[in-house]
Amino acid sequence: MNNDSKRGYKLEVWVTAICFAIVAVTGGFFSSVVVIMNEVFFHQVPTPENLVAAYGETMFVFKEHLSVWGFPLHYFLLVVLSWFGATLVGAIWCLVMDRLEEKQRA
Amino acid sequence: MEPRGEVFVLGLILSIVVLLISVMISVWARRFTRSLGDYYVAGRSIGALNNGLAMVSLALSLTTFIGLTALIIEGLYVAVAVYASFTAAFIGLMVLAAPYLRRHKSFTTMAFISERYDSKTLRYISVIVMMIVSVLYLAGNLKGIGIVFFFLLGVPEIVGIVVGGLVVTLYVTLGGMYGVTYNQTFQTIVLLFCLMFPVAIVMRTLGASGWVFPPLGYGDMVPQMTEAVPHYFWAMVAHPVVYIAIFLGSFIGIIGLPHFVMRYFTVRDAKEARWSTVICVFLVGLVNTTVYATGFAAVYYMQAEGVDIPTAAYDYVVFILVEALAGDGWLALAVAGSVAAGLSTVSGLLMIMGAGLIHDLYGAIKPEVDDETKLKLSYGAMFLVGVAVILFSLDPPEFILEAIMWSFGIAAAGLGVPIVMGIWWKRTNKYGVGAGMVVGTLIAFVSWIMIGYMGMDPVDIPFPFFAKYFYGPLGWIKVIAVAVPISFILTIVVSWLTPPPPENLQRQVDEMHGWSDVDPKRYNGKGLPIVIIVLSVFIMWFMTTLYDQFPK
Repeated sequence: MNNDSKRGYKLEVWVTAICFAIVAVTGGFFSSVVVIMNEVFFHQVPTPENLVAAYGETMFVFKEHLSVWGFPLHYFLLVVLSWFGATLVGAIWCLVMDRLEEKQRA
Repeated sequence: MEPRGEVFVLGLILSIVVLLISVMISVWARRFTRSLGDYYVAGRSIGALNNGLAMVSLALSLTTFIGLTALIIEGLYVAVAVYASFTAAFIGLMVLAAPYLRRHKSFTTMAFISERYDSKTLRYISVIVMMIVSVLYLAGNLKGIGIVFFFLLGVPEIVGIVVGGLVVTLYVTLGGMYGVTYNQTFQTIVLLFCLMFPVAIVMRTLGASGWVFPPLGYGDMVPQMTEAVPHYFWAMVAHPVVYIAIFLGSFIGIIGLPHFVMRYFTVRDAKEARWSTVICVFLVGLVNTTVYATGFAAVYYMQAEGVDIPTAAYDYVVFILVEALAGDGWLALAVAGSVAAGLSTVSGLLMIMGAGLIHDLYGAIKPEVDDETKLKLSYGAMFLVGVAVILFSLDPPEFILEAIMWSFGIAAAGLGVPIVMGIWWKRTNKYGVGAGMVVGTLIAFVSWIMIGYMGMDPVDIPFPFFAKYFYGPLGWIKVIAVAVPISFILTIVVSWLTPPPPENLQRQVDEMHGWSDVDPKRYNGKGLPIVIIVLSVFIMWFMTTLYDQFPK
C-alpha cells in the first residue's frame, strides 16, 4: 500500500466512522440520552386536579425556556437532526467519497 | 371510523386512475426488457434522481398513512423516535453498504451473501430469511390497501386486496424492474402531492401560522396543546434500550431488507447509488415530518376543539382530519396517495421474492439453466408469487406497523449483519456468518412467533431466558437489542476461531471499496470487530439495568 493509497484508505474509514456515529446518535442514542438525563429537558409539576385521575399526582412538562420555534428542544432536535441533519451528513460523505473515487481512478 | 355506507365516487375514480397509470407505465417500460439483467436490475441503468424517488415510495409504505398517526396519538415521542431513526437509517445504509454493494455486481442480497462467502448453504438460508421478512412486510401492506378500499371508498375489503394485488402482480410481472422503478417514481410524486397539500389545508383550518410548511409549521400551537395535554412531549415512557433497539432495527434492518438493497443494484455506478440515497433521505424526511404534524393536528383537534375520535379509528386519522377540515376533494387525493403508497411497497417486495426464488434458489439448484430460460421462468414465478401473496393477505397476521417492525428486526439479525461484516471486515468467513445468521434469525423469529403471532406476554415467555427484561411499553422491541448483538458477536468470534477466507474472497472487499490493487492489511484490522463486540455486550448489559425505573 503506497502513501496515497494509505491516506485514501484512512480517509474513507474515518469519515465513514464519524458520519455513521453522528447519524447513529440522532437515530437512537440521542433519545436514550433524553430519557436518562430527563431532568435537563423536563421538570416535575403537580398535576391539575382534573387530570389527576389520568396522570397521577405529579407529571412532567418540558422546560419552556428550552424551546425552538415553539417546539420543545428535545423534540425539535430529534425531528430536525434526523432529517436535515442526516441529509447534510449524507451529502458531506458523498462529496468526500466522490473525491476519493476520483483519486482511486487516477 | 365507520365504513362508508356508499361508494366514494371521486376517491374511487382517482384510485382507479392511479392503478391504470401504474399498469400503463409497466406496459410502456416492457420494451426495455431484453435480458435477465434488464428484468431484475433494469440493466443497471437507473440514474440517481430516478432511483432516489423510487426508494422514497418503497420506504413510505401504507404505514405512513395508516399506523404512524395512530402511534403518534398514543405516544408522540416514541412514535417520532421510530420514524426519525428510520429516516436517518438511510444514511447508515449508504455509508455502510450502498455503493459497495453496487460495485459487487450482484442481483440480490442473497446472491451477494452467497458470492462474498462462497457458500451455497448461506444462499439457501438467506432465501429463507428473505421470504420470512418479505411476507411479514408485504401482507400488512396488501391488507392495508383492502382496508383503504373498505373504509374510505365503500368497496368490500376483499375486492381491494384482490384488485390491488392483481394490479401490482400484473405490472411487476410485465415490466420487471424497469416497470417497478418508473412506477415507484410516479407513485412518489403522487404520494408527495397527495399528502402535503391536504395536510397544509388541515393545518391552515386549525390555525397554524406556518401551515404552508406543515413539517415545522405548528410550533405556535404547542402552548395550547401542552395546556390540554400537559406532558404530550414526555419522552420517558419507554426504557432507553427501546430507543437503541429501534436504532439497531432501523440501521442494520434496512441494510438487511432485500427490497431496499435491490434498488442499489439497478443504478449506473457507486456515485449514483450514493446521491440517490441523499435525495431519498431528504424526501422521506419531508413526508415523515408532515405525518408527525398530522398526528399532532389530530390530538390538537380532539383536545383543543373537543372532538371525539374513537380509539379504533386512530389508524384513519389522516383521512378523518382531511375530510372534516379540508373537504371531499382533498380526501380523494389523500386516498389515491395512500393507494399509491401501498402499491409501491408491494411491488418492490414482489420483485425481490420472484428474483430470490428463480435467480437465487432455482439458479443455484440448477446452474446449467441459461438466462433466457430463467427470464421466462421469472415471468411465471413473479405471477405465482403475486397470487400466493394475495391469498395470504386475505387472512394475514395483525395489521400492520408491528409486523413491519418485526421484519426489520429479523432482517437486521439475519441479513444486515452478514452484509455489513462482509463489506468492512475481510476476516469474516462463512462459518461465522452461518452461526450469526442462524442464531440471530432464530432469536428474532421465535420471539415474533411467541410475542407477535401468539400474543404471549414477553415477560412470561420461557425463551430466551432474558425475556423478562422485555417489559414495558414497546418492550418487545428490545428483542432486537439481543438478536442483533448476538448475531454480530457470533459472526466475529466464530470467524476468528475458524480459518480465514481464501484470498479471492478477501479480494472482493478491496474491489467493493473501489481499489484496483489488493492489500491484505486493508479492512482487516482488529479495531472494528473489537469495538462491535464491546458495543454489543454493552447494549445487552444495559437492557438488564434500570429495571425498577420504568413502567412494567
